[in-house]
Amino acid sequence: MGRPCNNESMQIFTSQRPRTAISPRLLAAAGLVALFVAIPFGYIIIRATTGGMEVWVRLLVSDRLRDLLLNTLILMTVVTTGALLTGVGMAWLTERTDLPGRNIFRWLLALPLVIPAYIGAIVHLALLRSRGGMIPQALASIFGEAVPTPSPLGLWGAAFILTLFTYPYVYLLSGAAFRNMHASMEEAARSFGRNSWQTFWQVTLPALRPGLAAGALLVALDTLAEYGTVALLRYETFSSAIFAQLYGRFDRSSAAVLSGVLVALAVLILWAEIRVHGRARFTQMDSGWRPAALLPLGKWKWAAFLLVLGVSSASLLVPVSVLTFWSVSALLDPQALAAVFRSGSQGFGNFAWNSLWSSSLAALLAVALSIPVALLAVRYPGHLSRFISRFCQVGYALPGVVIALSLTALGSQYLPFMYGTPLMVIMAYVLRHMPQAVRASQAALERLSPTLEEAARTLGRSSLQTLFQVTIPLVLPGLLAGGALVFLTSLKELPATLLLRPAGFDTLAVRVWVWADEGFYAQAAPAALLLVLVSAIPLSFLLRREQIFNERS
Amino acid sequence: MNALDILQLCKHYPGGAYPAVDNISLSLPDGEILALVGPSGCGKTTTLRLVAGLERPDNGEIRINGEVVASNHLFVPPEKRGVGMVFQEHALFPHLTAAGNVAFGLQKESRSKSQEKVRAILSLVGLENLAERYPHELSGGERQRVALARALAPEPVLLLMDEPFSSLDADLRLEMREQVRGILKAMRATAVFVTHDQEEALYMGDRLAVFQRGHLEQVGAPEEIFHASQTRFVAEFMGNSDFLPGQACAAGIRTEIGVLPQPLGLPEGTPVEIALRADDVDFEPDTQGNAVIVERLFRGAHNVYRLKLDSGQRLHVMHPHIQITQAGTRARAFINAGHSLAVFHNGRAVSGEIRPK
Amino acid sequence: MFTATPSIRNTLFVVFVLSMVLAACAPSAQPASFADEVSGRLVIYSGRSEPLIQPVIDAFRAQYPNVEVLLKSGSNSQMANALIEEKANPQADLFITTEIFTIQAMAKEGVLQSYRPAATDRLPAEALGNDNLWVGLTRRARVIMYNTDLVSPEEAPQSIFDLTDPKWNGQIAAAGSTNGGMQAQVAVLEKIIGAEKTEAWLRGLIANNVTFFGGHTDVRKAVGAGEFKIGLVNHYYYYLQAAEGSPVGIVFPDQAEGEVGLISNLTGAGVVNGTKNPTAAGAFIDFLLSEVGQKLFAEANYEYPVLPGVALHPDVQPLDGFRLVNINLRDATLELDAVFTIIEKAGLP
Repeated sequence: MGRPCNNESMQIFTSQRPRTAISPRLLAAAGLVALFVAIPFGYIIIRATTGGMEVWVRLLVSDRLRDLLLNTLILMTVVTTGALLTGVGMAWLTERTDLPGRNIFRWLLALPLVIPAYIGAIVHLALLRSRGGMIPQALASIFGEAVPTPSPLGLWGAAFILTLFTYPYVYLLSGAAFRNMHASMEEAARSFGRNSWQTFWQVTLPALRPGLAAGALLVALDTLAEYGTVALLRYETFSSAIFAQLYGRFDRSSAAVLSGVLVALAVLILWAEIRVHGRARFTQMDSGWRPAALLPLGKWKWAAFLLVLGVSSASLLVPVSVLTFWSVSALLDPQALAAVFRSGSQGFGNFAWNSLWSSSLAALLAVALSIPVALLAVRYPGHLSRFISRFCQVGYALPGVVIALSLTALGSQYLPFMYGTPLMVIMAYVLRHMPQAVRASQAALERLSPTLEEAARTLGRSSLQTLFQVTIPLVLPGLLAGGALVFLTSLKELPATLLLRPAGFDTLAVRVWVWADEGFYAQAAPAALLLVLVSAIPLSFLLRREQIFNERS
Repeated sequence: MNALDILQLCKHYPGGAYPAVDNISLSLPDGEILALVGPSGCGKTTTLRLVAGLERPDNGEIRINGEVVASNHLFVPPEKRGVGMVFQEHALFPHLTAAGNVAFGLQKESRSKSQEKVRAILSLVGLENLAERYPHELSGGERQRVALARALAPEPVLLLMDEPFSSLDADLRLEMREQVRGILKAMRATAVFVTHDQEEALYMGDRLAVFQRGHLEQVGAPEEIFHASQTRFVAEFMGNSDFLPGQACAAGIRTEIGVLPQPLGLPEGTPVEIALRADDVDFEPDTQGNAVIVERLFRGAHNVYRLKLDSGQRLHVMHPHIQITQAGTRARAFINAGHSLAVFHNGRAVSGEIRPK
Repeated sequence: MFTATPSIRNTLFVVFVLSMVLAACAPSAQPASFADEVSGRLVIYSGRSEPLIQPVIDAFRAQYPNVEVLLKSGSNSQMANALIEEKANPQADLFITTEIFTIQAMAKEGVLQSYRPAATDRLPAEALGNDNLWVGLTRRARVIMYNTDLVSPEEAPQSIFDLTDPKWNGQIAAAGSTNGGMQAQVAVLEKIIGAEKTEAWLRGLIANNVTFFGGHTDVRKAVGAGEFKIGLVNHYYYYLQAAEGSPVGIVFPDQAEGEVGLISNLTGAGVVNGTKNPTAAGAFIDFLLSEVGQKLFAEANYEYPVLPGVALHPDVQPLDGFRLVNINLRDATLELDAVFTIIEKAGLP
């Protein structure tokens, strides 16, 4: 009998049913997580306010700071744009066209995520620096005179390197979105008279928007906190100013004031992401999914192939080859070999093991802590829950050294039993990489119908039992994807590790730094290579999952 | 004792224009099936969720088997209420087999007892051969029955069903509701059933409760609801009626298509509306008639004609005859009910017996 | 303080009394005679990079097998910031830096406690911190290195003031304001030629488009590769780059009459205030200042030992042949703020 079908069903499934009372226990748990995340902010506020007026005056009237801020914003814009273009372009070519070798490229293009940008920068510097680089020298010996080559230094060099090693965030997210997209969506657009170009802009791209926004956010925040890589490439950003206050002056108040500026920028970026994200929900239709037809590239086939090959060469094949070459030369030289294996009180196996267990534990903790935050945000959408979820993501924009100093101040005074143990390093990893875990958990929970939890309740399970017997088992793949990402980035984390590690506790990243910092690249290479290889394990898991924090797509 | 008592239950979501559940009271005797029916957003699902304990009431009291489970000072969480629930999307746990899903509610039983029960209940719903299948390996109807079996397995004092058939195809829906009603009756289960489909409500419910905008419009047996709607809304929602305006007069009710000899205890000239179903009206072709035939809808055994009266009022007329009248024909419409008709004044039913001709 | 069983404590007492007696008779008594009695954990925070300190630690361990040495290396400033934040609950026993500024700052911050090394009397005055809060370990000369493919020895600048010559516009690399070597250079210049002229020199470098790096490793690599013709570095970076086979030359600048003379920097070490193992920390410092320790620094990293009479690395030109600035480096680097004010005013990146 022809009553219009109601859409209450829809509401329940997308958890839009309004809730009155937030579970107090869940709120308390999420609040505790937020309190933990607030440690660096508390530190910044205390240090910034104990500095006195003259600190503010000295900092705020400085032209140099304004220039550095501008530098940072320019770099951030260029890198984010570059990563978006590269990421989406590569994803489109490998997912939607008949690109030769697309199945292999799918892997190769995601793998640069495991190469720390500073290692990439060292390799590209060694290759490209204008007179001493291997490529200019090779060209000079071939042509008998210097041939001008693009410089890896300055704004464009830094943007080039950072883009190469951050675009995989965008690539992974948009690749998953391309794959999940219904062919019917684009077909519908075509049936309304749009050509394929219009369809891409009006239908495809908006559908990718949440993934792109999430990817762009990670890239932008990453760039904001970046110091080591850009310093190596001789481009000064706002982080350089923070370091200048800490190095030499030991002026932690000024450093805190400046860190506050970074926090403000991060808040702006997070806010912008919400704007871009909009209110649209991209609920996946489960039935009748079929992949869209591949676009034949025709005469462009080999041009596209060369382009993709170029990107994966610059971001993966060349760095890995160079690292392998250096490693081999280090292993062949007995003196260098001895240096590689000698480390404080420990050997090679030991610091590889340290890297593994500390990053794994950080991943586990970050995921565990992200669950109450994500659960609150997904099940009780509102201002408070959204605030807590966003708050947990601001820390990503803070330079690792600021997070490390805040933990040093807190730990040495109030947690003496923990201070000077690797747990402090792990805490720093968790603080820095919470956003990845929160996002992944949130995305996973959003896909889980709350009725499943309600079903468990009506079948006699308490809310806690429901969490462990129904919710977590069902969202586990999504949680693991977040964990893999935290693991990956913790493995690479350097400044916080250097500062917080107990004496004698080395990780792979530390070993790379110890040698690379003094310019001994061959000695640094084996650890760097191992770092890349170890990172490939969680990444392969991510790739098989195909949808890391693929928000609402 | 009643299996369920609801007393002055209220629930208002923040931001909602009107209360989702507004001062509702009703009772359900043991062994009966109560269908909560109404349009989208009427509060029927919220009422069900309040009973389940998935929402907290703002005010009022809920008793299950005489025991208070929610009041202004008390809130028993869902897992302690002993109710079973069948969800709209079935909400089967995808990580458990059919048997695993059914056994989920039997955690307090011993392993062997639980297995025995699972077998018994699955054979009751006819799925003993599919016990080891995962939800995604089952058809829609099979999933539906697993969900029912899962909810029934712990022998709940009260079974709650939230639009359980809405995700099924039309054919399957008809088949399933017969099966489900059969199973519930066989188990003498007490159940509350939410639907927006009035036909399904009439079929499934021993009693019906019609909701609108958080209000309970009418509670009663299906026949009572259908034939003696207490409000215009119930008549409209349950009966697919047209509403013909008229005025009370001494002889009955004066309308555009004649006087209905059904006197009301109302002052002369009071405006009323008569609920007319398609079989309460008839017409004959007449070039001087008061209506024109707009459209003929073929319904197999009979035709339904859509008429437009000169005032613009529309009426539906069911003609059992094979004879066909073309659209555009002018006709004289008249009331031909043979029984009292439901009449409403200001939306509420007005009593009055038809006077034999 | 390390805990000890009664028997050890008795032994220690005997040793203590004996040592007092010996100390009275023979002031030059070597602490090495206590080697077996020094034990426990020794946590070292080191700004000196691991490849340059680990050989010294290994040698120390050979002499003091009962001490477990734990090393945490990082940049000078990172370790210093950590020490400041840890003041309430010190983790380290010993701090080692590669330049004088950080250790002076730490002394000022109250991070260090005084220790008078056995070799005190043999050290130059400027290599002992006020109140014995730190000691100098080695000397690092501020030199000019150049790429010999691009610059002939005759052309190479002979004074740091030549670096502002437009002839070298865009051809010079140096370390930036966060680098201790650069900071010390500014501090010394300020004492000799005054704040105004120092600032002018810095402005001159900036105007001459000198490229400032975070550290000297980048400078030496860039000059070695021919990316820059000239580098302003600590002397051993020249030797490190030369050892890699690069075409580089070295100038010990400002030697002519009337010029300021060669500026140098001191690496140092200090015992952390509140150390749990002052005995081992003291033993380690004494080891660093012993002939063996000093020789290791000289050999591993071409540095100039502070202890007179220790042999240099065979490739290194001895400082005796050069005229050093006539200034006490320790006193010149006490006023940190004045130096940073100049650096900031000039806008050194």
